[in-house]
Amino acid sequence: MGNANVDNPSSTGKKQVPIKEDFFATPLSPPDQVRLRGSKCRACGTVILGKSVACQNCGSQDIEKIVLSRRGKIYSYTIIRYPPLPPYAGPEPFQPFAIAWVELPEGVRILSPLVGCKIDESETDLKVDMNVELTVDKVCDDEEGNELMTYKFRIIR
Amino acid sequence: MSKAVIAGLGIHKFGRFGDKPYTDIGLEAVIMALRDAGIEWPEVQAAYCGRMYLPPTTGVRILTQLGRTGIPIVDVEAACAAGGVALKEAQRAISSGEYDIVLALGVEKMPRGFMSPEAIYDHWECLVGLSQNPMYWALEAQRYMHDYGLTIEQLGKVSVKSHKNGALNPYAMHQKPMTLEEIINSRIINDPIRLFMLCSPDEGAAAAVVCSEKVARKLTAKPLTIEACALRTCKYPFAQPPAYTYGTAVMNRFVTALAGAEAYEAAGIGPEDIDVAEVQDGDAFNEIVAYEDLGFCKEGEGGHLIDEGVTEIGGRLPVNTRGGLIACGEPVGASHLGQVFEIGMQLRGEAGPRQVEGAKVGLAHVWGAGGNSAVTILKR
Repeated sequence: MGNANVDNPSSTGKKQVPIKEDFFATPLSPPDQVRLRGSKCRACGTVILGKSVACQNCGSQDIEKIVLSRRGKIYSYTIIRYPPLPPYAGPEPFQPFAIAWVELPEGVRILSPLVGCKIDESETDLKVDMNVELTVDKVCDDEEGNELMTYKFRIIR
Repeated sequence: MSKAVIAGLGIHKFGRFGDKPYTDIGLEAVIMALRDAGIEWPEVQAAYCGRMYLPPTTGVRILTQLGRTGIPIVDVEAACAAGGVALKEAQRAISSGEYDIVLALGVEKMPRGFMSPEAIYDHWECLVGLSQNPMYWALEAQRYMHDYGLTIEQLGKVSVKSHKNGALNPYAMHQKPMTLEEIINSRIINDPIRLFMLCSPDEGAAAAVVCSEKVARKLTAKPLTIEACALRTCKYPFAQPPAYTYGTAVMNRFVTALAGAEAYEAAGIGPEDIDVAEVQDGDAFNEIVAYEDLGFCKEGEGGHLIDEGVTEIGGRLPVNTRGGLIACGEPVGASHLGQVFEIGMQLRGEAGPRQVEGAKVGLAHVWGAGGNSAVTILKR
């Protein structure tokens, strides 16, 4: 299986669009300058990824937009070893990939695919508390022929 | 206000039944429950049907085969807690005094393999592949093993127990014991979770005739009082430290403690009073943490209960005596009422080779998609 899950910045000149508009606080390139957008409650300080109508903790609608840190660490991880059911749009043939809850300094944990790790038949080199950094990766082409882009996190060696 | 009492229980075996329609599967459970209560269908005044994957009006399609008596028949859904909602509605209908005899039914017929992701996850999560149920359990398990030193052998032992109990249960999907080696060496699905540590989506049904105490006295010598039926969804913060974004589908186990606390309070008892329990073992790890979230042991000590045999039949607090979801599968809408059937048999002393001696109080627990949980406490 090996290290197949490298990110894949577009070299095709196609327009890149985010898989979910409210996840990103910046343009999608260059990848090393992309930042995720968060929402912070002015009443209680709770932070979540993306846009939010109301605070998940206290229900306040006094929410401010914040820009999340690019670096965080792995709170937990697992491997998707069998193909997710449709409409999964990952590479054909299927390649196992790692996912994690990534904890950012703002106090939010984000569920994310990981890149830059080793996945063998029954093992990985992943560990809790590994440092990771934000990147973006193509998921698939959308109906208009644009490249649909998601966030991922890369292991910092 | 009358307490709600279960006067009859019915079940259709959980498993896979080919072309057999869900209308037949559901009907068999209902007929068994009606016979068990010694009543006829026209005596039922309202019915509540828990289902998730079956079509709208599933309850009507199943129940009107017995005659169009004109009663309200309502489908209810709360993912894995759907059967809990059906039972809760039945309990409310009785305790409010509106009806004397009602029916709670749970039924499901699901395809083989992973659960259909679009029923649970956002479209973008499905495209990226953040959409495979066991991954959430695996993420929890991986972190828990890091924090508390739970071992793969301890996870395996949970599944050994489930299969051992399932082999004693004629209504279980899997009725064959498995060894620890077979379980630990089975395919890894989402690290650290192995294939034989997981439950399968499947088919089945279960039903309960719920009535007032007054009616129950006439119908049965073995009434089962519904002491509590608590329904909850996840409350923020989902864990400590208080910061969790689980993608957008909130799937985590911490709702169990909320529903459990509410159920104990309603029943006026504590975890130490439970004689037998059925808990949501979507995978082996979730049984371990259900022990903790339901107060059967302290946080981080769930693995000890398995090592010490506390939750085996014959132990101090037998858990998942029917084989749990691991041996029975999870026909989502039917799942909780399947647990209630088992607890009912245990409290009535009719659980055969699985019988827990002297069981007086039993608890059934589910949780799942959308952060839904139900905890029911029955007493004989």
